Amino acid sequence: MRYLLRRVGFFLLTLWAALTLNFFLPHFMPGSPINSLRAATRGRVPDAELEKILASYGFKPNANIFSQYLDYLGKMLTGDFGVSTGGSSLGQPVSKLIGQSLPWTLGLVGVTTVLAFILGSLVGTVAAWRRGGVVDSVLPSVFVVTSALPYFVVGLFLILFFAIDNTWLPSSFNYDNTIVPGFSPGFIGSVMQHAVLPAATLLITSIGGWVLTMRNNMITTLAEDYIRMGRAKGLSDRRVMYNYAARNAFLPNLSGFAMSIGFVLTGAILVERIFNYPGLGYQLYNAVNSIDYPMMQALFLLFTVAVLGAILVCDLLTVWLDPRTRAEG
Amino acid sequence: MRRSKSSLLAVAVSIGLAASACSSTKHTTDKSGGTGGTSASSAGGSSSTGTAKAYKQGGTLTISNEQGQTWPCAFNPFNASNNVEANGFIYEPLVYVNTLQNAKETPMLASGYQWNADKTQITFTVRDGVKWSDGQPLTADDVAFTFNLMKQTPSTDLYTLWSGAGLTDVKATGNQVTLTFKQNAQVYFYQFANLVTIVPKHIWSTGDAAAHPDTWPNEHPVGSGPYTVNCSPNNMDYKANPNYWQPGKPYVTTVEYPAYLDNQPANQDLASGKAQWGSQFITGIKPFYLNKSQDNHTWSPPVLNVALVPNLDPSHKATSQLGVRQALAYAIDKAKVSAIGEDGQQPPANQSGIVTPTFEKYNDAAAVSAAGYDKPDLDKAKAALASAGYSPANPLNLTVIAVQGYTDWDASIAVIKDELKGIGINLTASSLTMQTYDDKLYKGDYDLAYVGQPAGGPTPYYELREWLHSANTAPIGQSASAGNFERYQNKDVDKLLDSYATASDTDQVSIIKQIEGYLIKDVPIIPVTESVDWFQYNTKDFGGWPTQDNPYAQPAAFNFPDNEQVLLNLYYKPAQQ
Repeated sequence: MRYLLRRVGFFLLTLWAALTLNFFLPHFMPGSPINSLRAATRGRVPDAELEKILASYGFKPNANIFSQYLDYLGKMLTGDFGVSTGGSSLGQPVSKLIGQSLPWTLGLVGVTTVLAFILGSLVGTVAAWRRGGVVDSVLPSVFVVTSALPYFVVGLFLILFFAIDNTWLPSSFNYDNTIVPGFSPGFIGSVMQHAVLPAATLLITSIGGWVLTMRNNMITTLAEDYIRMGRAKGLSDRRVMYNYAARNAFLPNLSGFAMSIGFVLTGAILVERIFNYPGLGYQLYNAVNSIDYPMMQALFLLFTVAVLGAILVCDLLTVWLDPRTRAEG
Repeated sequence: MRRSKSSLLAVAVSIGLAASACSSTKHTTDKSGGTGGTSASSAGGSSSTGTAKAYKQGGTLTISNEQGQTWPCAFNPFNASNNVEANGFIYEPLVYVNTLQNAKETPMLASGYQWNADKTQITFTVRDGVKWSDGQPLTADDVAFTFNLMKQTPSTDLYTLWSGAGLTDVKATGNQVTLTFKQNAQVYFYQFANLVTIVPKHIWSTGDAAAHPDTWPNEHPVGSGPYTVNCSPNNMDYKANPNYWQPGKPYVTTVEYPAYLDNQPANQDLASGKAQWGSQFITGIKPFYLNKSQDNHTWSPPVLNVALVPNLDPSHKATSQLGVRQALAYAIDKAKVSAIGEDGQQPPANQSGIVTPTFEKYNDAAAVSAAGYDKPDLDKAKAALASAGYSPANPLNLTVIAVQGYTDWDASIAVIKDELKGIGINLTASSLTMQTYDDKLYKGDYDLAYVGQPAGGPTPYYELREWLHSANTAPIGQSASAGNFERYQNKDVDKLLDSYATASDTDQVSIIKQIEGYLIKDVPIIPVTESVDWFQYNTKDFGGWPTQDNPYAQPAAFNFPDNEQVLLNLYYKPAQQ
């Protein structure tokens, strides 16, 4: 119990520290929302008027920074994120903007993360089981290379080959914008088609990590006595591989997976930017470019809570799965 | 846990069946019945743009203009950041003023107007028979309400009519609206008659709209313009307004405005003919767009200057010397910058600061060539540089700031750098993020800057005032965002600019020409190319586009209220048979 309280306390403290950083870091950035609004109005509206406009949307550049900070903390705790002050999204409620892009990020990055985890773990299991076989000698070395490639390099190569040299797949946006969204095969097909390249980019770059850790865990586990025992009892290979070895080797990977779920929201900024995928990462990119404080603050809060929450859940899971952690507490 | 393959397959098949049974895919370009041949009444005597012929209605036009964001679906004309989606389509001005035809006026919601003798008071006659899209009549009351709303809520007064232009009173009597100003208000006509769009009083005087007219999202706008709108973040779907006051117009029944987050897909849709109206830069436009179809055309009229801006403050030793600035102006081969850096799509600029051919009648070409600025002259450049104490043996090092990602600017600066090397100036390019660039430019923290003046008006006066009037500058370290970034201060030029407002038409031309003399003599800025309204259009199915021979409006889709003039002239060719 004391262990649990300590974890929760740690969570709250980290959350506060992160919130504070989220407030001050954007305010230290050069530039001002006025600049981006001036660009959006193509210079037709004088600066004094732009300030009045921003003020009517709740932008207070001249207020004391600490009273702004307290104001901000209160708003974050009550979930009042305000309205965007950036460029052409001026006046849009931040929660509405996030609501629009959250499903796209969850759909694309969430599904790909789960897929990468499952596929990677499977390949790792098989590679370790047939150590020295074809799978083991080819795949892990390939994945070492692909997991070392940066997202944007893979993305650009995929665009070059599949969208520009051959126009097989779309390289931009979330669905064909001539289609009216709805539950129709054309719309769903278009969404799938537009997701192929960004999803492939994420898969290629993230699957390697799972393969390697799973394979290494498996190899250690395979040396255990209970594996030899299982074999001696004459159990089928399949049963020993999945139910005896993989199940145990899987545990460390699972906690890694919980963390990576937390990073789902944040991890795809570059990919969304390259493929112009209107998810959270794209929103963050826009918000930073137009010094949109309310949008940045809400997104950072979301990212922080997602990561910290995942870590907390992971901690709690470990307590439940592993009796040793309980004893130490 | 075990599930046979066959049962999985069955699930997959049944999902597929369910999906296809549910509904068929709807495309925004699907033609609904009856768009083919609604006959337009040819008795419409109020055809405002001079096209005598009436066309039949029909067709779906697609605009391709990159915005970098999905659509906000908010249509408040007082929201300066996205009112380009509402103005021109849904809301209309009193009078349209065409920058490309010497400020030629087209009466819109006002059928006419009358100035008083000293031009401090203007009376508009509001057009009869105009209806809002909900069927209510538009009256002088609505017009007066719109202007008074700006007084009541200063953050809706986008063009600072009450706080800057000296507007003191707006009154409606009968079908007339009178605006009274503190002083001669001639130069603000472009703003209050052409940029301000009129909103319906019966909507804006109640509820949330009345409480917060500046921030009200206005998701289902009621306007007087040629279109009404249905919006999703990925696409705006404009439908012809059946109540529109010009009978039979607009000829095109549906306009699709999809959101594009990047130039590349937007340009691709233009090249393939999927979109017909383009408004952004296309690199290598010949092979990429023009050669794809003989129906693809481009015409991008110049409207403003892109200039090399020297810092004139004495704290910047090199650039504050006239000799250095003259050397820059003599050495740069503007035609070459235009051809290589801008792909020939932005014409070379004039040292007189006048954008030609748009404002040809103001340009003093003789004065430019008399001073030797009509073509590059390296000998004169070297001599001018020598007078400032620099030479190829004792070169001058300068840094020019530009905006990251503006690849045409990077290419232009590379050309300029090559040309300057010969005369003894080593130019270093520094590409900054937009935010950092703006900060340095406004605060005067640079030697040289590559700058596009963002806004002008229907005569060169507006742009020159921004560049040159000392009221638009500020000391180094303070923000001079109004346009005089170079910190030019000259009382004679100020006087000339101030006298423009009350001068007669012919005197105005001569005032502009005198100001050009100062641009040639003092070289406060070095105009290099002329920024244009990007415009690409496809003539396969649609006719009536603005062209070089008939420049009835600025053609880019993001220009309001010019976009309305284009929308009112376009027609769908297949519906005419």
